[in-house]
Amino acid sequence: MIINGVTIEDTFAEAFTMRVARIVITGKTARWAREAALKLTGFATSVIGCKCEAGIERELTASETPDGRPGVSVLFLTMDKESLPQQLIVRLGQTVLTCPTTACFDGLPAAPDRLAVGKALRVFGDGFQGSKVIGGRRYWRVPVMEGEFLIEETFGMQKGVGGGNFLILAEHPDAALAAAEAAVLAMTNLPGVILPFPGGVVRSGSKVGSKRYKNMLATTNEAFSPTLRAIAPSALPEGVNSVLEIVLDGTDAPSIEAAMRVGIRAACLGGVRSISAGNYGGKLGPHHFPLRKIMSGVTA
Amino acid sequence: MSDVVVLSLRTAPVGALELAGVTPDRLAQLPQREIAALPVRHAGRGAALGDFFTVKGERAARVRLEGDLRLAEGMGAGMMGGELVVEGHAGRDVGVAMTGGAIEVRGDVGDNTGGARPGAARGMVGGEIVIRGNAGEDAGAGMRRGLVVVTGNAGRGTGRGMIAGTAVVFGQTGPDAGRWTKRGSIVACGPVARPATFRYACTYRPPHVRLLLLYLRERRGLDVADRWITGRYDRYSGDLAELGKGEMLQWAGE
Repeated sequence: MIINGVTIEDTFAEAFTMRVARIVITGKTARWAREAALKLTGFATSVIGCKCEAGIERELTASETPDGRPGVSVLFLTMDKESLPQQLIVRLGQTVLTCPTTACFDGLPAAPDRLAVGKALRVFGDGFQGSKVIGGRRYWRVPVMEGEFLIEETFGMQKGVGGGNFLILAEHPDAALAAAEAAVLAMTNLPGVILPFPGGVVRSGSKVGSKRYKNMLATTNEAFSPTLRAIAPSALPEGVNSVLEIVLDGTDAPSIEAAMRVGIRAACLGGVRSISAGNYGGKLGPHHFPLRKIMSGVTA
Repeated sequence: MSDVVVLSLRTAPVGALELAGVTPDRLAQLPQREIAALPVRHAGRGAALGDFFTVKGERAARVRLEGDLRLAEGMGAGMMGGELVVEGHAGRDVGVAMTGGAIEVRGDVGDNTGGARPGAARGMVGGEIVIRGNAGEDAGAGMRRGLVVVTGNAGRGTGRGMIAGTAVVFGQTGPDAGRWTKRGSIVACGPVARPATFRYACTYRPPHVRLLLLYLRERRGLDVADRWITGRYDRYSGDLAELGKGEMLQWAGE
């Protein structure tokens, strides 16, 4: 399959089941909501080193938020049920509670699994906190120097998908970067998907474990590293001198698939030789995203 | 089974008509014949609901009452769920000791709305009451949880002895509001006669009031002005003769 002169390789992305929460942060202005969201999602690129993956899903208009103020929707993922509330309590407490004018709401109210995040953070109020039930949902009012911080008592948790991906194989680094930027731009604000890496792009795709260092969970993927082509088995076609990866996490597989379709199409620019994907032979992750089927509009 | 049970007043009562057992959660279990046979008290004597109302529908947790019900007392008293709408004025004791569900009165109500039964220590413990009109004395008195909203004026003793919960008055709030309150919030968008045992804390924009008023506008269809949603409120803590963890939030401008 060729799109705009770019070969779509006959391979698939392999992804994992994770646990996901959606956090809606509002602020007096979009700027303050964004400031809190950026801190909240900082250092949350990969569960390998950060224990969680997070990113801004999209910006919300005042009419889309519970308190009628501009907001930001954040997706937050971990590998297991237990660590999601732990990560949320620590991070929300240090980034959103501290941020001027913000309030924090659950973005998955229909999810039956509930995480008592606001209930845990209420104790910052040292006994001066209070709660209100509005429309059947309980909120905690935590007194702070600015006034009050409002946070929903519980947040929904559901199964999500982490590790959707595609690789941009280009003739030179500038072409790879331009294609990656175009892909990220096209996928920005799509519902149910985040791109947890810096600017949505990864330059250091990894393989599991190490050939040399026992304590390393992940090391460089030499098969896609152009500088190692001459001394290690390579997966790079001739003429490819730079590879960038887009990693996608989401609330469900169809959302990832829809975003991959849009992103891959946008990445098919001049200087790009092919689009590939990372997998583990299909043995580790339950979610497979075959590139050609996706680009044919066929649901994987 | 129908979507709604409609009770239309056929015979006007001449004395107090006690409807304490007529609740949506109860009517949701009953066929039409049994609804009409529900016992009520009229002027201190036993009677049947069907003696006064025409009953349409059955086995529905949505109930609509029609007619001049100023002499009807205890509508929705002790209700645990469902929806009760009164198309017109209602008497005293609307929603006393209710634990859940929603009551909406499209007219004025008498005293003790959402309050306590005689001798009881606490009033309503859950649910929502919206009065699209004026309320008599002691609206939300002794309430433990829940929400009472009055779009017009509220009489003396609104939220008196509140344990928790929220009372919102868009019009004028009468004297002794919040007297003996332990916790809970009284949101006064209009003038309020505040007891001296409430102490001023600050003027701010309470985030939960914004959320609550937006909820009332968008989900309950109330005509809530932007100035109340986005406005500043003076916060008074009280009753300091009691626990003092309650609050009165008086609208202070945009």
